[in-house]
Amino acid sequence: MSTAGTSEPRRRTGALRVFLAGVSRVGSAPAILAGVWLLTVAVSLPATLRLASSIENDLGPSLAAEAAADGVNWTWWQEFAHRHPAAARTFSPAIIGFAAVVRNVGEFLDHGPGALNATAGGAAYLLLWTFLLGGVLDRYARGRRTHAAGFFAASGVFFFRFLRLGAIALVAWTLVFAFVQPLLFERIYPAIVRDVTVERTAFVWRLLCYAVFLALLALMTLLFDYARVRAVVEDRRSMLAALAASGRFIRRHPAAVLGVFAINLGLYAAMLVFYAIAAPSAAGGSTGGVILRLLAGQVYILGRLFAKLTMYASEVALFQDRLAHAAYTARPQAAWPDAPIVEAIGEGPRLAG
Amino acid sequence: MTGSAARTIAPLAAAAALLLGGLTPQAQQAALVSKRNANYSIDVDLDPASRTLTGRQVVTWRNITGHPTSELQFHLYYNAWRSTASTFMREQSRMFRELGWERMPTPRRNEWGWIDVTAIRLLGTPPTPFVDLTGSERFIAPDDGNRDDRTVMQVRLPKPVPPGGSLTIELAWTAHVPRTIARTGAVGNFFFIGQWFPKLGVLQQDGWNTHQFHATTEFFSDYGVYDVRITVPSRWLVGATGRATQRLELPSGRTTHRFVAEDVHDFAWTTSPAFLERQARFEPPGLPAVDMRLLVQPEHLSQVDRLFAATRATLLQYGRWYGRYPYGHLTIVDPAWQSDAGGMEYPTLFTTDTRWLAPAGSVDPEDVTVHEAGHQFWYGLVGTNEFEHAWLDEGVNTFSTARVLARELEPRYFQLRAFGDFIPWMIRDVRLSREDHDGLAAYRDAARSDALATPSWQYDPRQFHAITYSKTAVWLDMLERTIGWPRLQRGLSLFFTRYRFTHPGSREFFATVQEGAGGDLSHFFEEMRGSNVLDYGVQQLTSAPLRILGMTGGAVQPAETDTRPKPSPDTQPSVPAARQQPLAFSDRTVPNQYVTELIVRRYGEVVLPVDVEVTFENGERVRERWDGRERWRLYRWERPVRARAAQVDPDRVLVADLNRTNNSRSLQPRGAQAAAKWSLAWMVWMQDALLTWASLL
Repeated sequence: MSTAGTSEPRRRTGALRVFLAGVSRVGSAPAILAGVWLLTVAVSLPATLRLASSIENDLGPSLAAEAAADGVNWTWWQEFAHRHPAAARTFSPAIIGFAAVVRNVGEFLDHGPGALNATAGGAAYLLLWTFLLGGVLDRYARGRRTHAAGFFAASGVFFFRFLRLGAIALVAWTLVFAFVQPLLFERIYPAIVRDVTVERTAFVWRLLCYAVFLALLALMTLLFDYARVRAVVEDRRSMLAALAASGRFIRRHPAAVLGVFAINLGLYAAMLVFYAIAAPSAAGGSTGGVILRLLAGQVYILGRLFAKLTMYASEVALFQDRLAHAAYTARPQAAWPDAPIVEAIGEGPRLAG
Repeated sequence: MTGSAARTIAPLAAAAALLLGGLTPQAQQAALVSKRNANYSIDVDLDPASRTLTGRQVVTWRNITGHPTSELQFHLYYNAWRSTASTFMREQSRMFRELGWERMPTPRRNEWGWIDVTAIRLLGTPPTPFVDLTGSERFIAPDDGNRDDRTVMQVRLPKPVPPGGSLTIELAWTAHVPRTIARTGAVGNFFFIGQWFPKLGVLQQDGWNTHQFHATTEFFSDYGVYDVRITVPSRWLVGATGRATQRLELPSGRTTHRFVAEDVHDFAWTTSPAFLERQARFEPPGLPAVDMRLLVQPEHLSQVDRLFAATRATLLQYGRWYGRYPYGHLTIVDPAWQSDAGGMEYPTLFTTDTRWLAPAGSVDPEDVTVHEAGHQFWYGLVGTNEFEHAWLDEGVNTFSTARVLARELEPRYFQLRAFGDFIPWMIRDVRLSREDHDGLAAYRDAARSDALATPSWQYDPRQFHAITYSKTAVWLDMLERTIGWPRLQRGLSLFFTRYRFTHPGSREFFATVQEGAGGDLSHFFEEMRGSNVLDYGVQQLTSAPLRILGMTGGAVQPAETDTRPKPSPDTQPSVPAARQQPLAFSDRTVPNQYVTELIVRRYGEVVLPVDVEVTFENGERVRERWDGRERWRLYRWERPVRARAAQVDPDRVLVADLNRTNNSRSLQPRGAQAAAKWSLAWMVWMQDALLTWASLL
């Protein structure tokens, strides 16, 4: 392997081409997309079945079920909420169509992930993603099939490293959501708008607060993302070092990093717009209608997952384009010392003393 | 008068007499004005910079009771916000704690409210032009004995005022306008001034009715004439109760606006340089015209038409249903954002409540506009005691509001608000019904908490709204569905016309509505006043082939048309006329015959008659009427087809039934299908929530 640096500057790939490379890598590994989709279904399924049971028991043989099956039975829904207040925290009209997205994003920005009332599921989901992420990044970095064995081997290798990184991330996110977010939205923003009497003005201030908060979220996300990327691509063992290396990479390639991030964000926004337009209503109770609604929802979920994976793949592609190429080595090739027996054999027999 | 003219006029006169409570022509004319026993002439100056009101008022009061009084009692509502020691602040703090709301916002140093009476003079005639009573006043707390509460001021008089006697009293006072609390106050350069002057309580037959200011209740005062002169900075628009009659530009860069209102029991006003003014005239056929004046925020200009439309709909429908709105003018105030002054009523003026983004079909601004405009009738014209019988105005008005919305302003949809409550998202799959406008869901959650018979100021504050607004509306809606709208409308209209400009209580309401509606509604009203809940349901429904199991044969009684020859007299009678068939065990299913058994049950304590209906597979429907008294009733039918379903109250008359889910039972249930549909819809939300979590990764 050649030593660091070459005599000629390398031609760098633009953000759009990096993004397209990321799309290509995700497209070439459909099993990963299918796998994370199955993961999402699996984590949400137990609670879904519990809710189905609650609804069925509550409706019983009542004729109210007919209206609920064929459309929206708002009277029954409100009675259900009265009898099952815990379920009603999440089972509300805000689950219909795009309202679900509006509510989730709004609650996340205003009150943090805990406000989604899915904390147990969310924590389990993050843990399982942490396990799979090593294999995902490894597959995208290699750009070739790794098969299930290689994928899960990489997942296993990096799982505990990512757990260590996750512990650092947990502290950081806790600081953000337990202190920064309340500071921004429950103290600073109310103080700014306290005497504002025009709602539009207050909304502009709110948007500014969102911008500040989102910028912080974006920066932290990028920091941890590239730490994972460098950990996998460079086979790093120290996560603190990976974080530091991530910071250096972002600092040295800000335009590219932000460009790739922005394009991926655009893909996510496009998914949202599409779903906002195409999200199905709750009308219709035929089996076909139920399946169609479910399919539409799952297409949206797949879209979101595709966007998320494309973000990872783009980040891997960018890092590989900028640093991890044939002419570059991150550090001198590690030379582990020979075992004592090897040294002893090489030096020949030595008499004791 | 010719015979034909007399035949035409007589029924009209009779109808008019009925509408006016059967009063004589002289009494009818008198009924169009109030007793005017509490008249105010007020001069007030607002300094926006210091948020100070400096006022002087002359009150002419007449004792319209049958006993003398040696004192006057005034409300000083602003003192409710003098400190946290007031009854209002104590109750509100408790409410915040019990409801689990965020910490109650604490006003800054210059944001508390208070009112200090600096001079009291009993005006007389020479040689004693006045008696100085300054310093003789004292604060009383007739409700809870709270010595720190200064919202009721007692002034002892040197001589009692006999029945029919009157006095004129002058008060000077200063007040500090608080940051808006309980819909009055100031924020930025927006001022809404309600409950701002020393206002007399109501002397009734059993003494003064002057409650302290409580966190959940509103107000009660006598009718009279208000002549108010308000001085504010020039170019600040002023809206107020009554009509503007004069405007005087002062050299100091200030302007005095004069407003006069007759036959009202309160006076509120608002001012801001940010208002834009719009006017419209409403001329409904058969009803008096009304000049509508709208003071609107610039960012809500796009909603002007909606605000006027909602007000027109209210004036039209309430006018047709109950009686005339006599004032000829109405001011609609669109308060500034964060002023917390929205959704409140005052005589001939009300505040609406809307948002910058208010898509069509959302509850904003029509719901609040109709409700507050409607208060001109229930509260404004029929001056019930909002301390003790808040349901008489809030509940009756909520019922009426729901009727207007359902009739004139449908459809309305469920609305989600996100991103700091700024962004609305309409969920058009959920269409709000009249029961939603009644507040059925709120009533369901609080049904047992309080009774309408309890004085409102003693309600559990957590349930106040549900009982006062929602329970009344739901039960009146149920009454309408039970006896029909024409009868209920006659009852409500009679109550309105008979008690305009007076202070009726719940007893008058129930008696008059029953009188106008006809029939005996005493049991219904008794249930309505209590805290029992209504719940009828289907306990069991079976429909199976008719099976006969057991012994058949033996002695069989002859049919009446037995034509067999009778035995001769000289033969031994061996067997009576009955026939003998051989005894045998039988287990057979009667072909094409099904027995349907239905058990309906009264789960709640309220007893009302209810319809029970079973539907058979051939489409036949059989309906029975159950008086609902027993705890359960069994019905049984034999038909050549099975039953498909059974329902209690199929026409949804018993709106107050808190559990409609148990009102029916189907033998072909689709609960599993509904559960699958909705749980899968929920799963998509859950997946999206998980992915939102995963954005941290």
